[in-house]
Amino acid sequence: MDFANLVDQLNAGTILPEGIVLTTLMVIVVGDLIVGRSASRWIPYTAIAGLLAAVVALYLQWNNPNPISFLGAFNSDDLSIVFRGIIALSTAVTILMSIRYIEQSGTALAEFIGIMLTATLGGMFLSGASELVTIFISLETLSISSYLMTGYTKRDPRSNEAALKYLLIGASSTGVFLYGVSLLYGLSGGETQLSAIASAIADANLSQSLGLVISLVFVIAGVAFKISAAPFHQWTPDVYEGSPTPVVAFLSVGSKAAGFALAIRLMNSAFPLLIDEWQFVFTALAVLSMVLGNVVALAQTSMKRMLAYSSIGQAGFVMIGLIAGTEAGYASMIFYLLVYLFMNLGAFTCLILFTLRTGTDQISEYSGLYQKDPLLTLCLSICLLSLGGIPPLAGFFGKIYLFWAGWQAGQYGLVLLGLVTTVVSIYYYIRVVRMMVVKEPQEMSDAVKNYPEVQWNLPGMRPLQVGLVLTLVATSLAGILSNPLFTLANSSIARTTTLQPIVISSHFSATVPAENSALQTQQ
Amino acid sequence: MNLAEGVQLVSFAILAVMMIGSALGVVLFSNIVYSAFLLAGVFVSISGIYLLLNADFVATAQILIYVGAVNVLILFAIMLVNKREDFKPLPNAWVRPTMTAIVSAGLFVLLSTMVLVTPWAYSTESVSSDTTIVLIGQHFFSDFLLPFELASVLLLMAMVGAIILARREFLPDQVITPDKQQQPVLTLPERPRELVGISSDKTSNLDDSRRSE
Amino acid sequence: MYDFEDKFRNMQLQYFLLLAAALFCIGIYGLITSRNAVRVLMSIELLLNAVNLNLMAFSSYLDPLEIKGQVFTVFVITVAAAEAAVGLAIILAIYRNRDTVDMEQFNLLKW
Repeated sequence: MDFANLVDQLNAGTILPEGIVLTTLMVIVVGDLIVGRSASRWIPYTAIAGLLAAVVALYLQWNNPNPISFLGAFNSDDLSIVFRGIIALSTAVTILMSIRYIEQSGTALAEFIGIMLTATLGGMFLSGASELVTIFISLETLSISSYLMTGYTKRDPRSNEAALKYLLIGASSTGVFLYGVSLLYGLSGGETQLSAIASAIADANLSQSLGLVISLVFVIAGVAFKISAAPFHQWTPDVYEGSPTPVVAFLSVGSKAAGFALAIRLMNSAFPLLIDEWQFVFTALAVLSMVLGNVVALAQTSMKRMLAYSSIGQAGFVMIGLIAGTEAGYASMIFYLLVYLFMNLGAFTCLILFTLRTGTDQISEYSGLYQKDPLLTLCLSICLLSLGGIPPLAGFFGKIYLFWAGWQAGQYGLVLLGLVTTVVSIYYYIRVVRMMVVKEPQEMSDAVKNYPEVQWNLPGMRPLQVGLVLTLVATSLAGILSNPLFTLANSSIARTTTLQPIVISSHFSATVPAENSALQTQQ
Repeated sequence: MNLAEGVQLVSFAILAVMMIGSALGVVLFSNIVYSAFLLAGVFVSISGIYLLLNADFVATAQILIYVGAVNVLILFAIMLVNKREDFKPLPNAWVRPTMTAIVSAGLFVLLSTMVLVTPWAYSTESVSSDTTIVLIGQHFFSDFLLPFELASVLLLMAMVGAIILARREFLPDQVITPDKQQQPVLTLPERPRELVGISSDKTSNLDDSRRSE
Repeated sequence: MYDFEDKFRNMQLQYFLLLAAALFCIGIYGLITSRNAVRVLMSIELLLNAVNLNLMAFSSYLDPLEIKGQVFTVFVITVAAAEAAVGLAIILAIYRNRDTVDMEQFNLLKW
């Protein structure tokens, strides 16, 4: 086989961003090994620099004319680029907030950041994976790193327990997912490329067979676990409460975005024949998630747990875009995830700051915070109100776009339910805001009474401040200046050929098998 | 049916019975050590089935990795957490196994119906006689190159992470400036909530001095 | 005669698939009923082995030239080993803190 020709066919330039992240990871792991404990001063900044460089590299690949690489294993189209960007950015912001937290919990920072970068790598590959084995390996890279991060504070029984539950539920959902994937492999008569699977199943006249339906259900179980949609959400509150808070921030944004990317690609490329069935299943998941997430969040007393249930509800909202199945639907998903990235990470940054200063995350302990720390109160209020969807903020436009796309696609019931549950969600977000702002000085909680003086010059606090201000600015500006994000989301969808159902069979069967057969003849 | 096929069928039947029997033993025996050894039985019989499917390399890998690594790892873990532990019986303990058995049986009926009604697209090509290892190697370095390389990252991090979680923690000297927010190392900064349920008596003595390791 | 042989050969794929389905269901049963965390991990290994058996059977009967299923199986074996290592590390960590591996005792995080 001609080596130069093979390199040409691999088209490896498309994974340059992942290459940058991988190089950063290696520099951090090896550097920590050589330099020792003092390395923790530069390691987080190296990681952030690497992630930002990866985002720049992603930007340079925008509108790549030849996105298929690694003989069809990876598809670096604009859709994947947006999702990879979301994941890389979320990790960068998460690292900002984790420096102080990890040091204060007395664990090693370098390994934590190493594991988080591995998770990022897995998520980024998952967003572009268009072949079953690649999907499986990148999904597992993401999952196994997440299990490790969850159990990172290993002296804490809550963290252990969260890690064990996450691992056992996650691994079993992977097993079920894989069973569905193996059926796909069999039904298509030995194909692993997503697009080839769809056309092979159509050729074999199995498009309405029991096997395909079972495979669809099993695959959705795996995907729904990743995006923590009810009823596959049982792990979420426990894991969110027991893991270190930066990990929760990553799980709720980066990992979830990767799950949505997987859902879009898998459902559109591998199951276009069962479009009614998967839209029905996702409708059920969305209804359950919106109702359950938002209603149970009302009863929570712990802030982390409340955000866990709220993130289940948010996943339900995002699924409306997936169910709509139109270009506007997918674009609204991306737009909402972009906005959600900043507002949710902002909320978690505030949560971490409060926890580090007071050592608690009970909602009642927030009362009267305005008197002591106006900046934190402002940021948390803006982020929570944006999550709830209060008008001038970014979350409002995100929700409007999602609901509009759903309405256009005829999902009236779903949109109405979304509106009702949004009102419910506004109630519990406002409750926190009211507690922080309205309370009189004598109603202050003990934690706030003993609130330490705000010191930004402690080690690791500066990055936290940067993250706080960054997310605050992004959340408040993204609402008013949402046009660039809007254009980004729309054009990424418009240029992604896989999302037009008719194109799937014709476009891919023209390119991918041709490449494969070219390889065959060389062998 | 000629002799070769007869031998194949008989060996398949033996391996299948062995596998199902050991698998049932894994989930039903109350002694975890028996389960671990029966798990090795499952792995070995699956490896035999792979040989029947003309997959010499994967059969070898199955023995080497599953029996040689995973099963030994599980046995080590059993020894490390080896405390004769009689689980407290739960009220209505029979309900859950019964329900699960019914659900699993239903699932099996569903899956086997699916297997039997689906017209699988049999390949008409004759099986290539040479060893599979060449083909697998070609796949690893052409169309499965990306997952192959990514798996190396996955294994590296799984190794690092497993060592971090499992090693006996020797507490680092206090590198943090001793301010008043000092907390026990390697724990979450958040205070635990009020604990609920049967475990509250266990967790009250969770201080580290109790352990002598 | 040829027809019979063909049918026999065809039946064999279903044998393997039925075996895999049985193993999968046993794995699911063990997953839900086990109280020992190590046994839950073993049940997960059973699930993954059922998947492997499926893939191998498909690979041999439907895809004998490319044997992509065998390659997939090698990947699944790799990941299963990594997952087992991580899982046992977590079990070890929780055992040090809680002194038990009973799943019913792990309920610090319930509301």
